[in-house]
Amino acid sequence: MNETNELKPFSLNAQELQEYQPNRYPFLMIDRVTEVVPGKYAKGYKNLTNNEWYFPKHFPGNPNMPGCLQVEAMSQMLTVAITTCEGMEGKVAHGYKVNVTFHEEVHPGDRLDIDAQVFSFKRGLCKGHVTASVDGKLVAEMDNTILIPEIFYQFRPKPVDKDKEA
Amino acid sequence: MSNREKYNKAFIDSLELEEDQLEGLTYQGVPSWDSVGHMGLISELEDAFDIQFETDDIVDFNSYDKGIELLKKYDIEIE
Repeated sequence: MNETNELKPFSLNAQELQEYQPNRYPFLMIDRVTEVVPGKYAKGYKNLTNNEWYFPKHFPGNPNMPGCLQVEAMSQMLTVAITTCEGMEGKVAHGYKVNVTFHEEVHPGDRLDIDAQVFSFKRGLCKGHVTASVDGKLVAEMDNTILIPEIFYQFRPKPVDKDKEA
Repeated sequence: MSNREKYNKAFIDSLELEEDQLEGLTYQGVPSWDSVGHMGLISELEDAFDIQFETDDIVDFNSYDKGIELLKKYDIEIE
């Protein structure tokens, strides 16, 4: 299967990106993809307003974006970097491994800029590194492994049948 | 480096194992050899022996010994 499309960068607006990212409100965590090269990288952002559903409770008096949702936003951007490959459009991706560091809080009014770089994408398994920044300042970064189950599980081995062997 | 050494190194590097864990090792026999670990192992072996596994062989590769058997299809003998 050809998992890389043409290398010319393109952008996706809020509506277009939903062709490649199956999450929906209230769990679609990216607003726009400003530049994507399928199988290589995706860059874009999430605009945060006081109307985000989590700010009233996280936390009263100091609303800030939950770290787990920053991870989700960054993972969604990495997903777009591979679901824009030929034949991958809109496929569901699952997380496998995350190693994340949070540097700064992210508040209402911030624009969370996300840069997702693909290190490898083979047989439905993608390894990448994603950074998030606000006003040019790094707020979070992570190594991320995600997979597309529909493809990945075609290659899952059969466990050894110990009883049969005995 | 002999083919056996290359073969063992692929397991040791991709699954973070010690050499004495390899004999009799099976898929899911250690936590690191899960489905994702398996893909890492397959990639290591493809790089080490400059081959491209067929899908059926990736699925059938479920033990240290089975891998040796499968590699014969690719003219790789693990002595």
